[in-house]
Amino acid sequence: MSLRSALRIAGRELRGGLSGFRIFLACIALGVASIAIVGSIKTAIQNGLTQEATTILGGDAQAEFTYRKASPDELAWMHSNAEQVSETLQFRSMAVKKNDRALVQVKAVDDLYPLYGDITLDPEIPLAKALASNGFIAERALVERLSLKIGDKITIGTNTFTLNAILTHEPDNASAGFAFGPKIILLTESLKDSGLLEPGALFDSAYRLKLPPQTDLPNLQSDAESRFTTTGLRWTDRRNAAPGIERFVRRMGSFLTLVGLAGLAVGGIGVVAAVRSYLDRKTDTIATLKTLGATGNTIFTVYFTLITLMGTLGVAIGLALGAAIPAFLGPLLASKLPVPALFAVYPRPILEAALYGTLAMFAFALWPLARTRNIKASGLFRAQTSKANWPRWPYIVATFFIAAALVASAAFLTDMPTLTLWFAAGIIASLFILRLNARLTRFLAARLATKLTQSRPALRLALRSIAGPGGEANSVILSLGLGLTVLATIGQVDANLQNVMRSELPAVAPAFFVLDIQQDQIEPFTQITAADPEVSKTETTPMLRGILTRINNLPAEDYVGHSHWTLDGDRGVTYSATPPTGTILTAGTWWPENYTGEPQVSFATEEATELGLKLGDMITLNVLGRDITAKITSFRVVEFRDMGINFLMVMNPAALQAAPHTSIATIYAEPAAEGRLLRNVAGEFPNITMISVREGIASAAKNLASLAAATRWGALATLLTGFIVLIGTAAVTERSRTYEAAILKTTGADRTTILVSFALRSAIAGAAAGAVAIATAALAGWAIVTFEMESTYTFQGGSAVAIVALGTFASLIAGLLYTWRPLATRPASVLRGQD
Amino acid sequence: MNAPVISLNDVRLTLAGNAGPIEILRGISLDVAKGETLGLVGPSGSGKSSLLMLMGGLEAASSGSITAFGHNLTRMNEDNLARFRRHHMGIVFQSFHLIPTMTALENVATPLELAHAPDAMARATAELATVGLSHRLHHYPAQLSGGEQQRVALARASAPRPKILLADEPTGNLDTVNGAAIMDLLFTLRDQHDATLVLVTHAPELAARCDRIIHLHDGQIA
Repeated sequence: MSLRSALRIAGRELRGGLSGFRIFLACIALGVASIAIVGSIKTAIQNGLTQEATTILGGDAQAEFTYRKASPDELAWMHSNAEQVSETLQFRSMAVKKNDRALVQVKAVDDLYPLYGDITLDPEIPLAKALASNGFIAERALVERLSLKIGDKITIGTNTFTLNAILTHEPDNASAGFAFGPKIILLTESLKDSGLLEPGALFDSAYRLKLPPQTDLPNLQSDAESRFTTTGLRWTDRRNAAPGIERFVRRMGSFLTLVGLAGLAVGGIGVVAAVRSYLDRKTDTIATLKTLGATGNTIFTVYFTLITLMGTLGVAIGLALGAAIPAFLGPLLASKLPVPALFAVYPRPILEAALYGTLAMFAFALWPLARTRNIKASGLFRAQTSKANWPRWPYIVATFFIAAALVASAAFLTDMPTLTLWFAAGIIASLFILRLNARLTRFLAARLATKLTQSRPALRLALRSIAGPGGEANSVILSLGLGLTVLATIGQVDANLQNVMRSELPAVAPAFFVLDIQQDQIEPFTQITAADPEVSKTETTPMLRGILTRINNLPAEDYVGHSHWTLDGDRGVTYSATPPTGTILTAGTWWPENYTGEPQVSFATEEATELGLKLGDMITLNVLGRDITAKITSFRVVEFRDMGINFLMVMNPAALQAAPHTSIATIYAEPAAEGRLLRNVAGEFPNITMISVREGIASAAKNLASLAAATRWGALATLLTGFIVLIGTAAVTERSRTYEAAILKTTGADRTTILVSFALRSAIAGAAAGAVAIATAALAGWAIVTFEMESTYTFQGGSAVAIVALGTFASLIAGLLYTWRPLATRPASVLRGQD
Repeated sequence: MNAPVISLNDVRLTLAGNAGPIEILRGISLDVAKGETLGLVGPSGSGKSSLLMLMGGLEAASSGSITAFGHNLTRMNEDNLARFRRHHMGIVFQSFHLIPTMTALENVATPLELAHAPDAMARATAELATVGLSHRLHHYPAQLSGGEQQRVALARASAPRPKILLADEPTGNLDTVNGAAIMDLLFTLRDQHDATLVLVTHAPELAARCDRIIHLHDGQIA
């Protein structure tokens, strides 16, 4: 029989319409749509960041410094290249209104600000007017926190400022980093004599450059870096205005794409079930075609064509949804996002989703399709054995290659090959474990069914149905189990993170971090805290920042041979004549107490190992523009997670004492003392900034919660696919349930018994899926928390119970949706139809 | 004649069809005596299977009354009918109607379990031995031949010792040899348990084994 004949038969088979393909279409469409939506939103944000680059950055280019302003040389270079140079300074401080205080992020600007974009205020007055005569503008959060009204005065440092407007839109906000408190903007000149910008104060400066249109940015960057990088200048320009956000969006988008692929895998189980169920119904047709002379190839071609057509339709529906939803909801989404986004229909994410959808469809459908070749003409006269028969080897090889192509595409397109491979391995392992679990559940159900007492016929019926051949337990456990595994893994990781932030830290963390303590303030400061009976400990230490520029006289990155966080910008550095309390040296010795010789440094052991440092190595630190080269004379244990004062590097006092600097402190106190301490210390020293660790953790936890929410939405899409597969499974079994109910009624079962039996079998399968999801998620969660996040994993029982309950409930609902007809139908009409 | 265990009075059955209502049974009145074997014969579409379904409470009559052991089946709801069958009736079908997800033993044990019999498995095992299937206890229906499946169905119907056995063309899907064996078994079981048997059949020689034969034609007793 020719290909044309096969296609003609396929066309005739299509006359049956889409009735047997609804779940098949839904599984593919949902998976493709979720991946296309994630990709479209990611592209919209990336395009938004590119288009609005100068506004986000606040200039065509930006040079940043830590704890200092630009030097005259650096300023001169900037003015020689730019049409305009605008200076902004940012630091944390305390805003005080009578006895009320709040931590604020101060942005001090000049009268050129903003070089690009518009600032929006409430009331709508010009920025210059709002900032004139010691005026300031503030985010609404501060206005609410301190109950401020327009015209109210606050004190920052020793100066008084008047609130003239509320900041409703800040054009360069997206490029700003994480802030602990609400933002206020004021003029730099109004901070004169405030005590806040004294030598050694902890502030960041940024110089935004408005460049001539013909400026060659790459050249300008390399010129700046060759001249000033060792002085601590950090360069950003409009080519990548918000690298942090861009990186975050890209990684988040890729991660959500992987979650979407998990959804496709769940949908794949639905595809297998749908194709198998469709082909089971076609067994007689296939046997008849074989009787009439159709070869195995013809049969395969007929149904391969059919499934390909349906799969293409599913992918097309998914793509239409994936393109339309972000485009329609664009304005709403754009207003909710903290970064600019340009919503439109983008071809690349749509094509990527089409590729994933098509490959997944073939990877899952090929196996049951290939088995049609094994159907024999004798099937017309004798029941075909339902025992699983394997397809011929070329189909198995083809399935393997398609699956490998899917994983390879994801690894390449998400740009996260390692994570993708782990993810794929996780899904395959989960499917394997779920399959084993399905067998175990059936085995246990069979055992239990024979052991139970006579008083529970409904339970026995349910257990027998689960244990028997052709039951729905396999499909339910696989589809629901995989969806729940993804959700449970995210639940375990999220709950562990929250747990670390909530329960672990307060036991050891200080109540306050205190910044900007001038040298002459250390004594009175410690006296105040020591006088408070609820303060258990106060630690102060000098605080400077330095950039690790060279190791053994080679550029640091060249020496190390790879990137490392310690080389990425400036790091804290302090000095101490003696080892700080609790110091554990792992190698070398501390310098003598009155040592004044060549600079020496003690380095954190773990990071030194990662950098390949040895005792005696020379490292060069750039501190406030000055190079200090020191010999490594000891290594020591540093536990950054205990939130105490920890420094990567400690130097001998003579090496750093001359540099302008302030000290920082940690205060360990009872929660009840926090308000009092804030009033006493901040009241006495207006220039000092106190950061509540509790509020900081709450703020970080809030950010973390929004991250977890995004991943949870992605996982819920996967679970929704699982639920659709469940409904599909229940729909497929409705006929057999109706038949079974009719027989049971004939043998004396009332409807309650039958209903309870149906409900129990759904609930048992759901609970089994939930239980294995918990076990798999615990394993995956442990691996992620231990190896990726380098934290301690604790099994989260609350999240686990919720997942099992959700699985049982979802399975129960899907099962019960298709129980009413079996219960309502009279036995005679069912049994007559079978005779 | 003994007191009737099943009594039908002017029973009618009308079902909805695509071309309008179809009168399946038209005013059937009939008594079946305790211990009697009754053969229902007639051409295809005459309504004999429907009549059997009504006697078993598997179908609701459109009008008229059906009583069994003094209980009016037409006034019972579906659950009460199921409980009534549990204690009084065993039914055998042409297509066996075994539950495909259960083994032969479990299929036979099910009505006993539903009746809360404390020794359901033991009795089911014994019943399967009676029908010669001790070696097929743990086989699923798909693993049994047609004759074996019908023997399981017979064992299932007789295991609770019902006082009424209803059989709807029990040999219709079997070859002559298997069919004869099943009929022998059916009558043996009936004799052993002194049950009332109502048998629907096309085969005159099978009907001839019954105490009484009723001919149906076009929904009426001919």
